[in-house]
Amino acid sequence: MKYINTAKQIIAILLVCLVVGVVIISEHSWPEGARDYLFAHAFEDTGATNTVSAIYLGYRAMDTLGETLVLLVAITGTMAILVNLGKDTIEEEAVHFCLPPEKRAKNALRTHLLEVVSSKLGPIVLLFGFYVMLYGHISPGGGFQGGVIVASSIVFLALGTETKSKLTNTVVLSRIEAIAFLALVLASISGVFFETGFFGNPIKPETDLSANFIILLNIIIGLKVGTSIATMCIAMMGGRHDL
Amino acid sequence: MIFERILIFALFIAGFAAIVGIKNIIKKVFGLNLINAATVLLFILEGSRIGDQAPILADSVESMVDPVPQALMLTAIVIGVCVTALSLALAVRLYKATGSLDIEVITKRLQGEH
Amino acid sequence: MNILILSLILALGIYALLCKDLLHSIIALSALSMLSALLFTMLRAPDVAITEAAVGAGVTTIIFVWAIRHTQRREEDS
Repeated sequence: MKYINTAKQIIAILLVCLVVGVVIISEHSWPEGARDYLFAHAFEDTGATNTVSAIYLGYRAMDTLGETLVLLVAITGTMAILVNLGKDTIEEEAVHFCLPPEKRAKNALRTHLLEVVSSKLGPIVLLFGFYVMLYGHISPGGGFQGGVIVASSIVFLALGTETKSKLTNTVVLSRIEAIAFLALVLASISGVFFETGFFGNPIKPETDLSANFIILLNIIIGLKVGTSIATMCIAMMGGRHDL
Repeated sequence: MIFERILIFALFIAGFAAIVGIKNIIKKVFGLNLINAATVLLFILEGSRIGDQAPILADSVESMVDPVPQALMLTAIVIGVCVTALSLALAVRLYKATGSLDIEVITKRLQGEH
Repeated sequence: MNILILSLILALGIYALLCKDLLHSIIALSALSMLSALLFTMLRAPDVAITEAAVGAGVTTIIFVWAIRHTQRREEDS
């Protein structure tokens, strides 16, 4: 009886080998048409010199909208399962990371080294995250990268300091996330009113300001991604005491 | 060139074998992550063959790498993180409901309650 | 050079799947993400490298550590 199970597994793996193996042994050369077109026209059409940003925020911006939606749904689902997981036992609650020191258990592994290093590094990483977010159109970076770095810095601040600040409060972060998603939907519709289609650039191309739409989209996406991932991480560490 | 593709293929098959063969559900989620990593590596590797400079337009760039697979893989990485987060939340919920991380024990206990 | 890094990635992946202590597997997965980010930089893809480094070595590791903290750290022997 148990050999049937192993036979099924081996058949499944062989079928997947067959499907993926065709990709591995193909000898077709990679086409160069897209690279040549983008090399010639990316700066005139969108105003960005980072061609990867020009693709996912200029030519194919609806993919970015779909990806932001997927992130929103996944994080909402994870938070819903997280919050209703049941009460922790007394031992588990005593080692939560966001407790003040007099309520923490004696054997919780939280040393002075962790607090000094992460609370001093947190603001520097936050500044770096905003830099990566804002310069996404002329150097490697952009909304997603900057957003994840901002989320990491908020986790540093939550691990390091013992005082509660507004930046690690999950209520404030959730409100910023909601406003950022609303701004993204409004920015995507604004192209319809200026005759450039859905998610089109409302500013006329070939002027000095045509890259500003990409900068605005980068800021909105960065804030949304950063605050939602930071909320999930702080809730995982036990810092959510209100809902 | 074919050898690099064979290594990436082996990573993909290892990830798939983990999903099908290993009984611990956290290791199954590891397998999902490995499949994601293998796909991203394959696309970026293939896209980098037609040029030799990064796709940032500057004055001194003559032949740049194909930027289209890189834009696709940014989306793929973010969706991989979303799938991992949600599946791990479901795994923890299963553990709290049945008390085990082994898929056969979970199936038996869930069927036994019906 | 690509072949060396890819074979290290494969070795780390297989180690992560066969190890009994789940915390060691998580650290191997984080090292796999870091080597992937290094490979992306060498293949002239800086955007993907920044994303993979920030996401793989940051967010994914935090989520996995939370998951094994609320369940079991060692895999059951059956």
